[in-house]
Amino acid sequence: MTVKVEVIEGGIPHNKIMIAGIVSTLVCLYLTYLNVLTSTEMFSFFGGFAVIAALIWGSHTIKVLCSYGIGTGVPSAGMIAFGSGVIAMLLATKFGIMAPIVAAVLAAVIGFILGYVSNNILNMKIPAMVQSLTEMAVVGSLSLMGFAALMTGGFTFDGLTTGHVTMMGLSLLTHQQSFIGGCLIAVAFLLGAIAIQHPFNACLGPGWKQDRMLMLTAECGFLSMIVAAVMSFALISIGAALISLIIALIGWVYTYNEYLVLSKRDAAAWLDAKPIPDVEGH
Amino acid sequence: MSAVAAKPAAGGAINPTAMAVGVVMFLILLGICYIVYPVGLMPLILIVIGGVLIGFGVHFVPVGGAPAAMGQAPGIATGVAMLAAGGGLAGLFGGAWAAAAGQDPLVVVITGGIGGGLMMAITCMMVNFVYVFGMGIPAASGKVAKDPITGDSQAEFKSQGTEGHGLPFVSFVGGVIGGLFAGAGGTLIYLELLNVYTAALPTVMQITAKQVLPIAVSAAGMFAVGMFLVNAVLTAYNITGTIEGPHDPKFKRWPRSVVASAVASALCGLVAILIVAL
Repeated sequence: MTVKVEVIEGGIPHNKIMIAGIVSTLVCLYLTYLNVLTSTEMFSFFGGFAVIAALIWGSHTIKVLCSYGIGTGVPSAGMIAFGSGVIAMLLATKFGIMAPIVAAVLAAVIGFILGYVSNNILNMKIPAMVQSLTEMAVVGSLSLMGFAALMTGGFTFDGLTTGHVTMMGLSLLTHQQSFIGGCLIAVAFLLGAIAIQHPFNACLGPGWKQDRMLMLTAECGFLSMIVAAVMSFALISIGAALISLIIALIGWVYTYNEYLVLSKRDAAAWLDAKPIPDVEGH
Repeated sequence: MSAVAAKPAAGGAINPTAMAVGVVMFLILLGICYIVYPVGLMPLILIVIGGVLIGFGVHFVPVGGAPAAMGQAPGIATGVAMLAAGGGLAGLFGGAWAAAAGQDPLVVVITGGIGGGLMMAITCMMVNFVYVFGMGIPAASGKVAKDPITGDSQAEFKSQGTEGHGLPFVSFVGGVIGGLFAGAGGTLIYLELLNVYTAALPTVMQITAKQVLPIAVSAAGMFAVGMFLVNAVLTAYNITGTIEGPHDPKFKRWPRSVVASAVASALCGLVAILIVAL
């Protein structure tokens, strides 16, 4: 039994964040289905919101797990979350409209078995291990699905493997220019894996505050969403991609400023230094 | 790891019940694959071998973690997952390149191993460069009195209050061996999945083999990366933090990791193969 080194003081309890996280992620993912109902691509940006909701939940799960001092570094938690998540997500895309729910269930099964393996076979004996790895696999699969919806406007296997190229006025079917065929999924993988592990890695320590860490997660999520929105220009209509990009930019600026405010609140003192000092006599 | 360094108390003990459950789970997963998609059984077994190679190989890599960054412990100054990803993914790229060139599977796997080993050799050398010329510390192991390969004594080079520092020769060799195993394992996973997908996806998706190739390559690569990271992190959990190399007492924990990697690879490999079976 390892010693728990950090306790959660105040703040929202983890279970509340977990339930809010999974519900809002699934709702946002299904809101992208409005694309199919209205036959546009204007609602793709809800995929980005799904990513951010999942990441906020996931970073708090990492906080719960890594409070036990697992000794392998915080980034490893992000890597196993997305490593197990991508496997569940790719199979789940085969299930059409049921994909997000199948992804969550399948990822939970994979995560549970991995949790059992690490807790019992590898003898980690950490109380939060099984639940955390289960949650993180779900977070990984749902955020990847969110990125997929953001970039392609859908989350079905056919939509993720087929794209269109316009050549001399003709629209041609192609498999190379797609989320999976073009391996955009690899970029989505690392965008998510870095965004999920960074907040706790950056905010840990005696001065840890829940709202500051979660704000940083939202900031990382919007930053990832900017990159994903830029990549979505290749796969969805320019108007839809612009909407995603503008929303991501506004969200990032807002969360970044909020995070700065929270950081100044928690800091002992700060100095507004200029990046490049003015040298006199020039 | 949290800033307040807590020593994990996992220890080297083996839990026999859990090991038995693990083996049973592994056989059940193979059985499911045989019932649902019999053609996939052989690739799945090879995927498991690849996963076990990764899990076993990572034990050789000298992982120093944060103490190594401060010159207080031997090894490369980062976590297990990052090192395994660096070495293994470099191997995966090498192997994928050989596979694209239409080489024999054995050549592909060996190329992957060499890619991983090369990456680790370069990493180890540059790390020692930084330690010796940048931080001004000699290489000394804290776990053994004499280097098992060269026979050089270590104690007189070790600073007081540290567990050793730098990258002794045996750790260097361990790193290269670990890279070889991990790179070969990752490539084996990729190759098997690629074969399964190129064979089955054209009928599943109703398109030609040429059209399916980018999807097959990308999906196989993504699954290989995912399974690689899962195996690497599980091994990191087994090592709990830092290891010096094959001479470290923690190295004896490898049987646990082999069972864990077998279960995890069978599970992930089964899900990856089901994508063409369902």
